[in-house]
Amino acid sequence: MLACVWLLTIGGCAMPQPWVKPHERERLADPILQWQGDLLSSKNSQHVRDIREGARGANGVQGGGCGCK
Amino acid sequence: MRDLIHRRSLMAVVLLAAAGAARAKAAPDALAPDFTLRQIDGANLRLGEQRGRVVMVNFWASWCGPCRVELPQLARLHDKYRGSGFLLLGVNIDEDAAAAKALAAKLGITFPILLDSKKEVVGAYDLNAMPATVLIDRDGRVRHLHRGYKDGVEQVYEQQVRALLRE
Repeated sequence: MLACVWLLTIGGCAMPQPWVKPHERERLADPILQWQGDLLSSKNSQHVRDIREGARGANGVQGGGCGCK
Repeated sequence: MRDLIHRRSLMAVVLLAAAGAARAKAAPDALAPDFTLRQIDGANLRLGEQRGRVVMVNFWASWCGPCRVELPQLARLHDKYRGSGFLLLGVNIDEDAAAAKALAAKLGITFPILLDSKKEVVGAYDLNAMPATVLIDRDGRVRHLHRGYKDGVEQVYEQQVRALLRE
């Protein structure tokens, strides 16, 4: 009987999944969630900074939060 | 008493197995999980009734950039092979069907668009990518899974569709 109850209890549990699946990212893909307001001008100023500082990279992750691979 | 316990645990195992089977995912060479969805024009379409045709199911959304790039390529594929027993189903997962309708009109999409606004079908297929494309053969079995979109993958799609149509 105990084994039966244990089985049923475990069966009801799912592994915790803190991540959001790619198909659930509709709200996250909203342009308002971009770090920069204007993507084109921010790319331009990033380029200028690259040239002046002689360094590039580590500017965050590219992409729009769509979760597309 | 012992007999009763045995019978109950057996029942629990059967119930758990049934719960596992209900959550069948899309996997190569397995039967494609069946679904019925409403089309953008209001009619219902069931995957199981499309046996005998090579079916490509593409999950897309208007908020997904790569999907927007991929859709015109898929429309070309559909127009080329629709007369040879090929059917393309675009499963849209937008919460708002109007966004799907607007984008489909803008891109001039001719293949059937199904609305999965509750995300039940895309959840059942559980492909963990957007866009996601499933190629199903004439017997209703999943043959190829494509996660995401890369430039030039439409040529792979075309080769696979041609191979499945020849079978």
